[in-house]
Amino acid sequence: MSDSATGPAGLFVDLGARAAETLARLRLARDVEVGCSARRAVWTAEKTTLYEYLPLAGAPRARRRPLLVCFALVNRPYILDLQPDTSLIRRLLGAGFPVYMVEWGDPDDGDRQRELNDYLEQGLGGCVRHILAAHGIDSLDLMGVCQGGVFSLCYSALHPGEVANLVTLTTAVDFQTPDDLLSKWMRGLDTELLARAGNVPGELLNALFLALMPFRLTQHKYVRLLTGGADQRAVEDFVRMERWIFDSPPQAAVALMQYVRWFYQENRLIRGTLELGGRAVDLKSVRAPLLNLYASADHIVPPAACAVMGRYVGSRDYTACAIDTGHIGMYVSRRAREEIPQRIIGWLGAHAGGARARRRAAR
Amino acid sequence: MIGNPFATGSATDAAFTAAAGRFFELLKTFTTPPAATAGQTADFGALGTQLAGQFEQWLKGSSGAGAAFAAAAGFPGGAAGWPPGAVPLGPAAAGQGAQAQNAWELLMKLGTLQGELARYWSEIAQDSAQRFMARVGGGGAADLTSERALALYETWVHCAEEAYGATVRKEDFCRLQAELANTATALLLAQRRQADTLARAWGLPTREEADALQRQIRELRQQLAERAAGSSANPSPRKSAARKAAAGKTAAARKSGPKATARGRRAAPRRARSGGKGRA
Repeated sequence: MSDSATGPAGLFVDLGARAAETLARLRLARDVEVGCSARRAVWTAEKTTLYEYLPLAGAPRARRRPLLVCFALVNRPYILDLQPDTSLIRRLLGAGFPVYMVEWGDPDDGDRQRELNDYLEQGLGGCVRHILAAHGIDSLDLMGVCQGGVFSLCYSALHPGEVANLVTLTTAVDFQTPDDLLSKWMRGLDTELLARAGNVPGELLNALFLALMPFRLTQHKYVRLLTGGADQRAVEDFVRMERWIFDSPPQAAVALMQYVRWFYQENRLIRGTLELGGRAVDLKSVRAPLLNLYASADHIVPPAACAVMGRYVGSRDYTACAIDTGHIGMYVSRRAREEIPQRIIGWLGAHAGGARARRRAAR
Repeated sequence: MIGNPFATGSATDAAFTAAAGRFFELLKTFTTPPAATAGQTADFGALGTQLAGQFEQWLKGSSGAGAAFAAAAGFPGGAAGWPPGAVPLGPAAAGQGAQAQNAWELLMKLGTLQGELARYWSEIAQDSAQRFMARVGGGGAADLTSERALALYETWVHCAEEAYGATVRKEDFCRLQAELANTATALLLAQRRQADTLARAWGLPTREEADALQRQIRELRQQLAERAAGSSANPSPRKSAARKAAAGKTAAARKSGPKATARGRRAAPRRARSGGKGRA
């Protein structure tokens, strides 16, 4: 704010002008676009679509293993490719990785009975099988984000031979850590009743996430936009983020209630009591090398919920790293632009040869 | 590029305008604390009361907190004005008594629970104001500079978030919130039962019937998938030979790196219908 605004009257004049200016910029940014990398749909089943990102011109044509990105059901994956300067996808393509992304689509009334196992086996499993067949390979690299990380862990446990390397971002394994507010709120829900009520609209989930930190998320961030002297570009970045935050798909009733009950209420993943499609999910069966990145200031998936992953998985090659940012900062902050892609690309590069090559190198 | 499914641009404008309005209101409160008496001496103790009052109103009405709990329970904007159930008409009137009574009881329970929730909002508002006053002390805000105004605002947000976090983590609050969601859902289902009664009377399919049909479709799909899997597990000798050949090509491809093989491409479960190039 300008230094001339030294008294209350001057302050209000200054702020009023800034508010009008910011609002005008927001209106100009209304039609801003999200998603920056070219891609094509290569496989679909039910509402799940597998996209393959097209290689970047000039990117090294390294012989990389394909990388499949599995995002959460509760948000859209384009946050990973929101705009060129923060796009993790673009960085991966730039490093020569063939990158694929699962998009879950929007469940409708006919999907009310859809179960977690359907998402895992038909959805994620279908994508994995397609990529393996298309590339003529036995295993791929899998990167799971948030709830998608939980799915990736489960899939790796059930199909250990298909996952060469596993990367998890902001992925909880212990759903009952003391600092997990979302978990506390979930404990008393009657999941049978809620499943009967039908699919859950995305707006409801948004309201729940905002209620975790209502002042910062519904007031403070807008005031900072007003007082921070945001130029048009910063406002456009802000609007892109807003669009993503409030663009939440509805949730299939049964799958969501299974997730709430089995993970949040019963903490089955680390208790070893989780079963999907009649098969036990044992995290000790996850033996692929594992890179676990999580945010040290995450209000949705607390760091303590992620940090303990190494205790439960069977991977001997396990690397964990706390990044100094929040949940969304993992995808769009300055660190997201620099540290996170560097870590992932470096780690995957070092694990490119698979277990046999690493053993040879160790000798 | 990905389209904008919800056209949130205008929603951002509205959220910004609301937050800016609330910010101005707070600054106004900071700059003009209530006078203790007609003698015009600023009473900073009363400032806390005023802040708490404003904050409580915001908590009750804001989509950020108070209303979010009502919305999360399935009723946008809370249950105010929401009818206790479908109006029994014509032939459906018979037998609606027990259903209507049940829905009414649930509505009453919801109202009681929302009253309890309001007490928590009051507690949070009081606690926030106390924390804020303790932190800023009696420091007046008569000559409010930009920097001082922002510092006060940051302190206020910090105190509010702290007070909120302390309350909403309490076991009692968590229990209440869950009960609120469960009761609202039970009410929604009670209303649906009433609507089903009417649908039945008018010869329309009910929710239960739609659910049963969906379950049946799901089971049929599973059976189809199992049969398809079964037939591919017991292939004809000709198909088996072809598979062996494919396996050979796959192995060869593996040696030369992760390139796609024609066989591998054919092995894909199903192609996307819209497989053309393009941006998402």
